Amino acid sequence: MTIFFQIAINGLLVGMIYALITVGLSLIWGVMNVINFAHGDFLMVAMYISYWLGFLVHMDPIISWIASGTFCFILGILTYRLIIRRCLSGPVLSALLATFGLSLVIRNFCLNRFSPNFRLLRKTLLGGKKIVLGGLYLPLPQLVTGIFALVVVFVIYYIIKRTRLGWAIEAVAMDKEAAELMGINTDKIFALLCGMSGACVGIAGGLLPSYLTVYPEVGVLFCFIAFVCVAMGGFGSILGALMAALLVGLVEAFGGFYIAPIFKYVVIFGLYLVVVTFRPKGLFGW
Amino acid sequence: MNKKDIYWYAFIAVLVAIPLIPAVAKNSFLGHVLILILLFASMSQSWNIIGGYGGQVSFGHSVFFGIGAYGAGMAVVKYGIMPWPGVLIGALTAAVVAVIISYPCFKLTGHYFAIATFAIVEIFNRLFMIWDWVGGALGLDYPLVEEGWKNFMWYETKIHYYYGALILFVLIFGIVRWIERNRIGYYLKAVREGQEAAESIGVNSTLVKLTAMAISAFLAALCGGFFAQYNLRVDPPMVMSLDMAMKFVLITILGGTGTVLGPLVGALILIPLQEYARALWGGLGGGVDLMIFGLLIIIIIVRQPRGIMGIISDVCSHVKKVKGIALETKGGG
Amino acid sequence: MKNLKKKGILFITLTVFMLVSLFGGAAFAAEKVIKIGTLFPLTGPCALAGARCKIAVETAIEVINNKHPECKVPLAESEGVLDGYKFVLVSADHGGKPDVGKIEAERLFDREKVYTIIGCYNSAVTKPASFVAERRKKIFMCGCSSSAALTQRGFKYFFRLAPHDEIESREFCDVLIWLNKTKNAGIKTVGCIYENTEFGKHAADEAKKAAKAAGFNYTTDIPYSPGATNLDSEVMTLRAKNPDAVFGACLGSDYTLWVRTMKQMGWLPKIAINYCSGYQDPVIAKQLGDDGNYFTGGTGYAPGFADMMPAVAAVEDIYKSKVKLTVPFDSDSIQECIAMFILAQAIEKAGTLDYDKVRETLYANEWESPMSIGGKVVFVEGGQNDKAMSIITQLQGGKYKGVFPPESATAKIVFPIIPWDKR
Repeated sequence: MTIFFQIAINGLLVGMIYALITVGLSLIWGVMNVINFAHGDFLMVAMYISYWLGFLVHMDPIISWIASGTFCFILGILTYRLIIRRCLSGPVLSALLATFGLSLVIRNFCLNRFSPNFRLLRKTLLGGKKIVLGGLYLPLPQLVTGIFALVVVFVIYYIIKRTRLGWAIEAVAMDKEAAELMGINTDKIFALLCGMSGACVGIAGGLLPSYLTVYPEVGVLFCFIAFVCVAMGGFGSILGALMAALLVGLVEAFGGFYIAPIFKYVVIFGLYLVVVTFRPKGLFGW
Repeated sequence: MNKKDIYWYAFIAVLVAIPLIPAVAKNSFLGHVLILILLFASMSQSWNIIGGYGGQVSFGHSVFFGIGAYGAGMAVVKYGIMPWPGVLIGALTAAVVAVIISYPCFKLTGHYFAIATFAIVEIFNRLFMIWDWVGGALGLDYPLVEEGWKNFMWYETKIHYYYGALILFVLIFGIVRWIERNRIGYYLKAVREGQEAAESIGVNSTLVKLTAMAISAFLAALCGGFFAQYNLRVDPPMVMSLDMAMKFVLITILGGTGTVLGPLVGALILIPLQEYARALWGGLGGGVDLMIFGLLIIIIIVRQPRGIMGIISDVCSHVKKVKGIALETKGGG
Repeated sequence: MKNLKKKGILFITLTVFMLVSLFGGAAFAAEKVIKIGTLFPLTGPCALAGARCKIAVETAIEVINNKHPECKVPLAESEGVLDGYKFVLVSADHGGKPDVGKIEAERLFDREKVYTIIGCYNSAVTKPASFVAERRKKIFMCGCSSSAALTQRGFKYFFRLAPHDEIESREFCDVLIWLNKTKNAGIKTVGCIYENTEFGKHAADEAKKAAKAAGFNYTTDIPYSPGATNLDSEVMTLRAKNPDAVFGACLGSDYTLWVRTMKQMGWLPKIAINYCSGYQDPVIAKQLGDDGNYFTGGTGYAPGFADMMPAVAAVEDIYKSKVKLTVPFDSDSIQECIAMFILAQAIEKAGTLDYDKVRETLYANEWESPMSIGGKVVFVEGGQNDKAMSIITQLQGGKYKGVFPPESATAKIVFPIIPWDKR
């Protein structure tokens, strides 16, 4: 029985990390109907920043996430200004494709500058430690990242639902032209959203070097899983993205143990297809 | 025979004549680039049927491409026969698989549909990696067999591959030209522009889309068979990957979706770029060629979502406008 | 109007670029130069290893071309071969893709007119690339691709330096038998965790074959998708099945994730032996620190072998100066370096560049190779280096110590692996 609960814990922790990465995508998609293909590469860039800070000035990831988050906030705004803004008037998927190009550029730029070497931080505050409760263990790096994830998701949810900014964002999501007529500066809102999206994935990337190795391709699988989580959660639903991410984490963990580890990701993608067959707009989408 | 037809046949005649130029015949790398251009143009054109004319942007075509490639591979490696029956079976299987998976997927819209196609590619990719009957992660390596059209394999020269690719190209482009001028093409475009409106005038949108998908998958699988025969090896990352799926989409979008020449133009730009950038700078190891590729994609999609054909038609209509104004002012006085 | 002008310029630029690229092409002037092509993954998931392999060949060329009396390897004291011919490197990237590898091999031979190709690290790419060489009857030197099938094809112009995974699997089983005999180890069950790629699957198949042949019970087979976000399920399954010995084929980042996940779950097998993978990478060993200790693996070279192979140090200094992150040689890159040396020695001895003569010379002689374990290289039919050996090393205190075969051991093996809570 302990194995069952251990797997559940593993799954939830992994799911929370997925959630942190997904929430940013969900924000942009729900309001601008844009999916950023380069999202995984933002994660990778954030991880590199956190790694370099850790390696050069011995700043622990538990602090360097601030730097990663800020950098990716700016990166998000730049991406909006230079690329996404111009795709908004075009066909629906053009931003996806344009950001695919961006992803190639970022990934190969990092390959070029940082070389393909695998970088791992030797000593971090959280690395290798765990909390043991009964027969179960909770790995500390994943636990802390998971807690950050929940906090960030709820902060964003709070902003959207309870603040004036959030109402402005929802207004834009519902009807862009009407919002503009009401005096809302949609351009600024979009830029802010892209920045927030970058910041979320930047925070995730800032914390991950506590236990993951950094290399140019590290963001790829996270990115695909984030796409699946965001689409499963549904258009316009932050909590949906969170639920979907947790579900994906659990399914991955249980499928990986009770079926076979090699089917882990097949099960995740299969889950998505099953969910959208019955709910074509995702679990909570509108 | 109208003007367009004449231009088309003349173009094909030129393509047939190219390998006869000695400079081209001796340069095996140039031969390779030309073959790839024809192949990728054909692949993208097959995607164009459902993605451009049908408006369903699918990132899943590498699944059909892969099934065709495996069809050829299994025939040659596992059963030791010529590839042709394998390719045919692969293409038919691809069409069937396409219909089965598209039927539920067509209920999805926009990004949901796109991500569903991602999910499908990933699932097939990973399943084929585990499936021992098709070689799994080890893939299928071609043994040495007799050269010739029977086995569709040549080791020394690329000229026959070029003509094979040309036949594939003419076939697929021919089919699309036919689709564009016939009912099914109009139905497709009608469904793309407005599904409910089309249905209200009696178009069975589901049947139309599924037919287009089946044809598209069949043709993509034929291209996959060619690819396997050209590279003498099949494994899932080569043919069933997301990278390959993106190529189908990007080439068509760069060139111009929903146009006959779009895929050709897209391939004419992306393939030489990809191959020569790697040849010139790939050895430096910095991924410079991929960076340029990425930048080009960004620039084109941002500036002109209708692709190169969109740029061309803008230029043409501007020229016409200027001519018209000139005539007017001349006449008016 | 401005917008249209911009579009027009964009279009014309693209067209020009396209035309130029279609009909471009370079020609190289010929002097007393022998071009060596290297074909490695310089982008993609194996980019790190590929870059190191390329630099290893560069290092060898540097030593051969110039006077390096400090390097005690053949051809170091003279300049070039065949009375004044110098080697020149032409590098190409295949990114891990077999179709690209085939085309680049053709391009290197046909357009760049290289004499030979050294490559390709990934066995899946080495297969089609060497096929191209064989058809053209040109020599192909393979340093470290591990698939046994490569030298079972009956090729005449293909040569491989490193031991392949069939040899390694048998050696791993020999270690287990030795432990059972000398230490009463009681190892009965064997499992394998491997990345689900051509490399990993092939290694796992050989592991299964060898384990069964040696009388062990192969109970656990765990493939995983490389680049995984976590290896929780994989390690949980390992822990549940609890094999006595685990063979690993995990590259780079997955290796560190595997080790750290095992630490989190508080599980270890009695012994873990690795194929050519993340274990052998000295940078990864350093990064893992104490966590990496007591794992073992087949090693073609490790810094700890310096006493056994004194000649390596001087060549390694040159290698270190060229490579980022100044790493020492690892098992893979050193084989590529050796491949270059052996080829140069063969050309010098044959006295000609004629492929068939060089080929015969390669087969006919026992080659001095101070950088190989055992110091000698001999090729048998099919192209395998029959003297290829790897020493099983164990990381102790962050250093690679040779532990098997007992004759070459520099330290005693720590068995079983010390559990996490006792470190």
